[in-house]
Amino acid sequence: MSSTEQGTSSAAPAEPTTAPESAAAPEVPESFYYVHGKDKVVHKVSAGALQHSALIHGMISNLGYTEEQAKANPFPFENIDGDILQMVVDWCNQHKGKPTPPEDTNLPKQKEKLFDLVLAVNYLEIKELLTYCCKQVAMMVKGKSPEEIREIWMIPTDAEDEAAEKEAKKRAGKEAAGETAAAAGDAK
Amino acid sequence: MPIRILSLPAKDLQYALECMDFGDLIVFSLCSKRTKNLVKSLNLQIDPILADVCKNYICLQLRPSKIRGVPHDPDPLFLFLTFSNFWIKIDRKNGIAVWKEDGFNQSDWIAHFLDIFKGSFIEKLRINNVCPISYLDIVKQIIPNVRKLQILEDCSVELTKRAFLKLAPISMMVEIGNISSDHKENISEFLTWNVTFLTLKNSRNPFKLGLNDLLVTNTKMLTINNANITEKELNRFLKLWMKRNQSFYQPKMIRLTFRNELNIEEVLKGMKQQIVKQGWQLKRADGKELSISIRRNFLIFFF
Repeated sequence: MSSTEQGTSSAAPAEPTTAPESAAAPEVPESFYYVHGKDKVVHKVSAGALQHSALIHGMISNLGYTEEQAKANPFPFENIDGDILQMVVDWCNQHKGKPTPPEDTNLPKQKEKLFDLVLAVNYLEIKELLTYCCKQVAMMVKGKSPEEIREIWMIPTDAEDEAAEKEAKKRAGKEAAGETAAAAGDAK
Repeated sequence: MPIRILSLPAKDLQYALECMDFGDLIVFSLCSKRTKNLVKSLNLQIDPILADVCKNYICLQLRPSKIRGVPHDPDPLFLFLTFSNFWIKIDRKNGIAVWKEDGFNQSDWIAHFLDIFKGSFIEKLRINNVCPISYLDIVKQIIPNVRKLQILEDCSVELTKRAFLKLAPISMMVEIGNISSDHKENISEFLTWNVTFLTLKNSRNPFKLGLNDLLVTNTKMLTINNANITEKELNRFLKLWMKRNQSFYQPKMIRLTFRNELNIEEVLKGMKQQIVKQGWQLKRADGKELSISIRRNFLIFFF
């Protein structure tokens, strides 16, 4: 769900243990942004969490929105399902300002979600999460036979590939013929 | 629910494939022509492929040469091709998996593995003592090209001879471990073959060589470890080589090692030789030169 935490980045230099408390730098209030997916449900996410996404980070880095402006203009990701975006937001919040561990056990276990998640994460350019997802995809076929892999990953047979290729060529030929006829018509 | 992996963006698909362990990738390559080409495009680096011919199967050993940070790398993967059918067995760590591909015979399997790793030959083909002579023809049909054929020391004389005759033509180098020294003509049978590299290697029994064996040799690069030939015969060989003006002699190098130290004076006795950096040099009237290098228990002739 939406994050309301006022976290500080772990990248900030650690305070010396001997320093008096009053000498600590005052915490800068964290800014928040809003995103929504296909389902239009708006998620509130901190700028720190959104740093994981190179795409969103690039979008907001020069905006300088106030809280109100950000609320009024959520980033729309119409190509991402609501539940997938929720997963991404959750992951970004969980890993806000933290170094990413080599393995992530918090990823969705449902295979049907994984594919959409890979596409979303790829679109949002979240490198670490993409790495985990790709590893999960690879694990799906661990120790499986070619037949099982074909089934799990929906790999067409050579005959199906050939038929699809023929069909594509046929379609391309028809389209080219149509264009030529149209051009000839225009010339007349 | 399955996922359509081939619809993933190319970069993600490649990354997902790179996360797969070596065995899974091999299996994935068998799914279709497209998956085979995908694995090929990963440019996986592997150690040279080894093949062991055993009782009724060939065991192929494939090992990634780079650690990719995925489970089991760089453990070798063992694949077994049986002679009696076209099935393949793969040791998948959690057990042996067996399957077949429609229209695939044993040579297609080998061609498939060579293709995905962009290889053109099997690095080493090893013949074990349990290999039945009757299967040698099938081995020749299955394996297209070999860099080194190794006929192990514990193979019988008959198996050694048959394996050599059948498989030397597809091999660039041949190493033989057992030639019976009971029959003197036996060793010449191997030496007369036009092989680029031939090594005779037996740690237990020396290879008995005669003057005639050296004269009939057709191997370009011959190495005999544990050779048994007298200094006198070597001396005669050198004298004969000097006398054979205008005659063609195939070998470019002969390297012999001995159990005992050589008497250099006796080898070069009566020869008009020139001392050079590596040893001695003989020059024939027709201009041909022979360099000789002798160290304690080995000698090398460079023609």
